[in-house]
Amino acid sequence: MKQKLYVLLSLLVLASMVLAACGTPAPTDAPATEAPATEAPAPTEEACAPAGTEPIAFPDGGKSVTGAFDQEPDAISPYFTQMSFAIWVTQLTLVGLGEWDDTGAFVPELAVEVPTADNGGVSADGLTITWKLQDCLFWSDGTPLTSEDVKFTWEVVMDEGNAVSSRTGYDKIASIDTPDATTVVITFSELYPPWPTLFTQGPNNTGGILPKHVLEGKTALETDPFTRQPTVSSGPFVITEWVPGDYMTLLPNPNFYKGRAILDRVQIRFVADSAAALAALQTGDVDWYPNFSEGDIATLDALQPDVVLTVLPGSNFEHYFFNLGKVEGTDGRGVADNEGFCPFKDVRVRKAITLGINRQAVVDTLLSGYTSVPASQWPNSEWYNSSLTPDAYDPEGAAALLEEAGYTLGADGIRVGDCNGEQTRLSFNFETTTAPIRISIATAAQADLAQIGVEFIPIHTPAGTFFGQYVDGGPLTTGNYDMGGYTTGFYPDPYTNNYLCEQIPNAAQPDGVNWYHNCDPFLSDLMETVNSSVDPATRKAILDEAQAYIAENYYVIMMYARANVIGSTPRFQIGPAGGSSNMNWAAENWDVTE
Amino acid sequence: MWSYIVRRIFQGLFTLLIITVLCFLLTRFSGDPLAQYATNPRMSAEDKEALRERLGLNDPLYVQYFKWLGLAVQGDLGQSFFAKQPVSEMIGTRLPNTLILMFTAEIITVSFALLLGIISAVKQYSLTDNIITTFSFIGFSVPIFFSALGLMLIFAVQFKEWGLPYLPTGAAVWDKSDPVEYIKNLILPVSALALVNTAGYSRFVRTSILEVLGQDYIRTARAKGLNGRTVLFKHALRNAALPLVTIVGLDIPFLLGGAIVTESVYSWPGMGRLFWEYAQRSDYPVVLGILLIISTAVVVLTIVTDVIYTFVDPRIKLG
Repeated sequence: MKQKLYVLLSLLVLASMVLAACGTPAPTDAPATEAPATEAPAPTEEACAPAGTEPIAFPDGGKSVTGAFDQEPDAISPYFTQMSFAIWVTQLTLVGLGEWDDTGAFVPELAVEVPTADNGGVSADGLTITWKLQDCLFWSDGTPLTSEDVKFTWEVVMDEGNAVSSRTGYDKIASIDTPDATTVVITFSELYPPWPTLFTQGPNNTGGILPKHVLEGKTALETDPFTRQPTVSSGPFVITEWVPGDYMTLLPNPNFYKGRAILDRVQIRFVADSAAALAALQTGDVDWYPNFSEGDIATLDALQPDVVLTVLPGSNFEHYFFNLGKVEGTDGRGVADNEGFCPFKDVRVRKAITLGINRQAVVDTLLSGYTSVPASQWPNSEWYNSSLTPDAYDPEGAAALLEEAGYTLGADGIRVGDCNGEQTRLSFNFETTTAPIRISIATAAQADLAQIGVEFIPIHTPAGTFFGQYVDGGPLTTGNYDMGGYTTGFYPDPYTNNYLCEQIPNAAQPDGVNWYHNCDPFLSDLMETVNSSVDPATRKAILDEAQAYIAENYYVIMMYARANVIGSTPRFQIGPAGGSSNMNWAAENWDVTE
Repeated sequence: MWSYIVRRIFQGLFTLLIITVLCFLLTRFSGDPLAQYATNPRMSAEDKEALRERLGLNDPLYVQYFKWLGLAVQGDLGQSFFAKQPVSEMIGTRLPNTLILMFTAEIITVSFALLLGIISAVKQYSLTDNIITTFSFIGFSVPIFFSALGLMLIFAVQFKEWGLPYLPTGAAVWDKSDPVEYIKNLILPVSALALVNTAGYSRFVRTSILEVLGQDYIRTARAKGLNGRTVLFKHALRNAALPLVTIVGLDIPFLLGGAIVTESVYSWPGMGRLFWEYAQRSDYPVVLGILLIISTAVVVLTIVTDVIYTFVDPRIKLG
């Protein structure tokens, strides 16, 4: 009988092996890759015809690079994804009217020029924006790319039948007129100063033009195969193969408006994490990995020149902040559910904590000196108030400020003082996520602050809990924290409503975004006025004032400007790249040197 | 007998139901799927609320559960929140890769475990036994992430640096229709898995054989004048290996889940990585789909094993 057991179990094993042998997944449907035998020049006004109708096939011995992504893109369509990895691929395949270059300047892409008041692109009232497309634009399949595609893109975004990830800004458009094939006249229903972020690709916005001839008449585009894997492209490359969980292949678009890309093929391999990517970089199995953290800089630095380290300081920033908990609000504004930590209401305490953390040492040691401590929340951008300088580390000055505020050293080395009639120890929680670099930095800050008699207790919770919504008791939204820290950024458009009194989350308004729980009516009104003008110079002046005000009130502690950290092989030439553009903005210039 | 089988099936269904409730609650409380968009300046509060509504996250928990369960019993595991693809399709593309990796590793593990276990038992307390025992404990104690990364660093990174023939890290794009490429890319992940599992299994085989070798029927076989090899392979091993076969049989459902760490380190496009990637994003439909498949396999195979035992083991009598 036991022999039967053997037989039965063996059969089970065999059956499973037969299943296993059913093979690897077949690549998803891809367009044919038979290409014109010869390379054709980009369309010109003289010869307004497409250079081809298919992606250019990979020739024997052609130039090819392989990148590593640690997340597989969820959708290669700019309006249906918020994933960075997906957006990086859309930069290669579905481009927009404009983009931000390696210097951070807003430059035209499919358009002839960026609309301004001077060139007549922006109307006097700021409500009408006119874009002029380049002549002779074609999709990769040879179909003309016209102003009708831009209008169609807006219609897709606003169609309730399509589950787009965001309609922000597009819902302010009243109409789009297309008097001819290259002119797009956008009329807004109300003033919308961040209009450059619409139909364009940038560091914190994703847009692009969708092909009307492919998608017209369709709805529920979030599940359409095109959204997952676009079959036509307006960028330098076209996706021709995508094996789920494994890799994707992109071949040159014969009709790219800047001309054919230098590389003959780009492949993207999906790996689990930066450790796997680093080993693959060292063996040359992949040519680049774009998602190292700042904590990996030292490791990568040590591997140079076998691995090329590129650090691109960007406009996002890591910052610490105080929960000010304006419980009753001011003049009825800014009601908060939680009290916050009483001593933080005194600017001297906030300043002392800022001076008591050696932020430059964090940058120099943990980040290998590749980024900087900014003075305001608009670093590495044209909106930055360059007259401000970050406070230097000054433990003596910090201690003196705490003494002045009435907090004296207790027997246990922690300062104690009176706050609203209650003896209060300067001991508080600091909440952030579990990212390794955050743990290292919080530990350094804890040691620094202990030296001035402040007990700073880091609490690291998973991002899903830390950023949890109000009804789930998320600490940031409910205000159930003392100090907090995370990364954000206000670029390319400088506006933020993080300081608005009316945006403090509470039971009546759980989706408020003022997680500082700080209602300062002057600052709140100042930030509102930033959005009352489309004139960049006027906005800059108001924003400069706001930055100075935030700095002198020590509402936030700017830790460091976040950076894109890229590792690549010496053979791969990524060309000029900046924090605002990342390395994909001019992928047509990528090259390899053997 | 039939009433026993029917009873076991109902018990299995009830167990599965409990498992689905637990898995649903565990995944649901593991974090807000939209938390990743919390500081995303591209999305307004209205955008996030619309997305939450569309994904059904505003429904009461029990409504979310029954909606998911209602579809699952019809064979529809739902759609990934973020990839917007059917979960069954996503699993279908990864499962073959996982099965190839896991079954290759299992076959090598069992082969080496038998070999080392037998040698260790026959040469009990000898130098060979002590060496095998020492390495077994080392293999058993070293965490898989360490051995997997270590093997990669030595045989891929360092070997290349030393100018020796080196194995691939698995992160390159390679041709899966080329058997040589396939085997080259399998070597390191299979070795990492086999290293850890062989250590445990070989100790089990050793103990099992030693126990059998002390039985009366083995002494009788020896007394009949049979040589040592015949006694070991014909009489001792067949009985000693029975518990191992049972363990391997019960391991089969877990092989479906893949190996999260090994698949991650070697960029193997299998179920383990699929689970890990989507668990990190709190994409419940994908996570629940994988858990449901594994749970169902465990329950079904447990019932099958129990029923088989009622046939093969004369000591089991059903009233």
